Amino acid sequence: MAVNEEALMWVEKYRPKSLNEVVDLHDITESLKAFMKNPKTMPHLMFAGIPGTGKTTLALCIAHELFGPSWKSFTLELNASDERGIDTVRERIKDFSRYSRTGFGNAPFGLIILDECDQMTGPAQTALRRIMETSSRTSRFILICNQSSKIIEPIQSRCAIFRFSRLDRQAMIDHVQWIAQQENFKLEPAAAEKIVDFAEGDLRHAINALQTASAYKEGYVDEKTVLLVIGEASPMQVQKMIRKALYGEFMEARKTMYEIMGSFGFSGTEIIRQIQREIFKMSDLTPEQKAELSNIIGEYDYRLTQGANSDIQLSALLAQFAKFGNAIGETY
Amino acid sequence: MRIDILWVEKYRPKKIEDIVGNEEAKATFVEWLTGKRKTTKKAVLLYGPPGVGKTALVNATAKEFGFTIIEMNASDTRSEKAVNEIAKPATSYVALDAFSGGTKGKGNMLFLDEVDGIAGNEDRGGVSAIIEIVEKSLVPVIMAANDPDIDKLRPLKKVCLLIRFHQVRIPLIIALLQKICLLEHVKAEFEALEHIAQNSKGDVRSAINDLQSLSEENHVLTLQDTMGLSSRNKDISMDETLRGFFSAKSIDEVSGLLFRSSVDYDEFLMSVSDNLPKRYTNPEELAAAFDLVSQADIYRGRIGTENWHLLKYFYNALSEAAAVAPQSYKPFELITPPIRIITLFWTKGKRSMLDAICRKIGAQCHVSHSKAKKDFVPYVKEILQKKKSSALIDWFKFTPEEVDFLIKMSKY
Repeated sequence: MAVNEEALMWVEKYRPKSLNEVVDLHDITESLKAFMKNPKTMPHLMFAGIPGTGKTTLALCIAHELFGPSWKSFTLELNASDERGIDTVRERIKDFSRYSRTGFGNAPFGLIILDECDQMTGPAQTALRRIMETSSRTSRFILICNQSSKIIEPIQSRCAIFRFSRLDRQAMIDHVQWIAQQENFKLEPAAAEKIVDFAEGDLRHAINALQTASAYKEGYVDEKTVLLVIGEASPMQVQKMIRKALYGEFMEARKTMYEIMGSFGFSGTEIIRQIQREIFKMSDLTPEQKAELSNIIGEYDYRLTQGANSDIQLSALLAQFAKFGNAIGETY
Repeated sequence: MRIDILWVEKYRPKKIEDIVGNEEAKATFVEWLTGKRKTTKKAVLLYGPPGVGKTALVNATAKEFGFTIIEMNASDTRSEKAVNEIAKPATSYVALDAFSGGTKGKGNMLFLDEVDGIAGNEDRGGVSAIIEIVEKSLVPVIMAANDPDIDKLRPLKKVCLLIRFHQVRIPLIIALLQKICLLEHVKAEFEALEHIAQNSKGDVRSAINDLQSLSEENHVLTLQDTMGLSSRNKDISMDETLRGFFSAKSIDEVSGLLFRSSVDYDEFLMSVSDNLPKRYTNPEELAAAFDLVSQADIYRGRIGTENWHLLKYFYNALSEAAAVAPQSYKPFELITPPIRIITLFWTKGKRSMLDAICRKIGAQCHVSHSKAKKDFVPYVKEILQKKKSSALIDWFKFTPEEVDFLIKMSKY
């Protein structure tokens, strides 16, 4: 596999450049390879699925396969979560698709990769729909999103949709081991499993955690180091906060909440989303308990949008958790 | 309430001896006015809390000694021009009848009430104009103020004899109230009058006003009747409001308290949220109370900047939160200042620093700004904290400030 030696974050360094190098995802890569044989037949594509499963990677692979090393000249890569308004669609996308009409030499068309496009506003999506129609002879779109349901129907019907599910656990373990080999350090098997389990099918998280762990210790990464990384560097210590709340240590839980907000500048909505995710990771809760907690979270997620002060809504949520933990005290 | 005439007017002291309390101040003032006190000061400044008899003393003295009062108070403009127009003529001649002997006429006296209220801009030059008048005046100049310590009065104090008034002692106020009750045929329990007097904090005027507002014909004024008296003119502080809030026995009690208090409600809401876990240690109660505080916050959100009619629902929800479990109240130490101060860590400068970092990560790793913050920053900062790799820094094109920021990012 070709390695991007210049890149220093491993997620970039070991990002596959050709469809053949992609881990797992065989069904999808096979279909895409078929398009590559005769690029003119490639329709607009939509990649939908959970984060870290290779959507952006596959899009970039296609760019590489179509245009070779100079792919950047033929590709417009936009992140809709950063530039999600109608102006972006009207100016940058329209300009690019118009420009590509004048021809790219041997390239069959210009490629527009729109990442996180479920973040696009409604009007922007509507504007996009028109452009996709008028520019189909000169450009192809690859739309990437977590939930295809957030994309308006007319756009969906113009795309071939590929759904990405959680990556295979063993494939991920093999992959992090392979990276460790390339980087010349020994990765304890238990440590590899810990990393993969922590990442929950998100390869980006797994590789980032691996690289961080390797910075802790020269030449060798064991399970203890991985646990340290997960503790110190995991995006947020949301689990710690949830557990403290469930144990009835409200004051402590709230302190952690303020720490999370204080160190990363996360908004209340971002924290609530993480809480929701973490709850489902907690193996010591029954499915019924998770469902009940999820209901509570949903209520406060809504209140957050209505209220004036997110600190207060989050505090109130933690108080509900404390009450919940108290009620199930015997079994928890 | 009987409103035929305000009792404070009806029983305004007519003679110096009618003024209750502050005997020393009264004596000093009379000595000064009659020239018996050895001083070169041509003006006096009477100062002390409101309602203790400063103005009453000036009026009563003028009456007893036959002066005509030329008065300027806070309702008049007191710029240099205004002072010169009104006060100067009044102080630059001595009345003819002062020399006619025998009679009580002594001419004018200039009375500048509420001099601490001389405004900065509108009354420009007022203070220096007053000083000039004091120096040239042929007649007594009397000033009164509540707070003599303010800077702008410092030059005035130099040319004045300072006479201090104290709060009137409670027994004296009670005696006065008893006298008025007798004259007005009001029957009142001693405890009721005592409570009114105490509540006034030495302010005779407010005590008389309270007595009048509470007394009804053919009704004995009881202690119970006086319990509703709010502390007049005394701001209820945040601490006081919080303490009252958490110790309240009923929703009504809280509503009354919130209605009277003038604390900023955003700040108050935050403080309630901060202190709630100290008030309710039982998880059930805490959850119930926080649910209501959360609803109050929702109303606050809906009020925004215009729907102020919703404010009553905000207060209602808060009042309910205070009365979730009155029986479980135990005194506790308030948390102040608000613990969210930690979020102030996120100044605008720091935010834009993190934004720049996330943009740089996004450019290299094909991720959005928000993903960079969530999926990369926690790792990148950890890697840099462990091993300051200059190659990695160069690759991201981080500035030294940004590296420093990442390394110092607080660890859990």
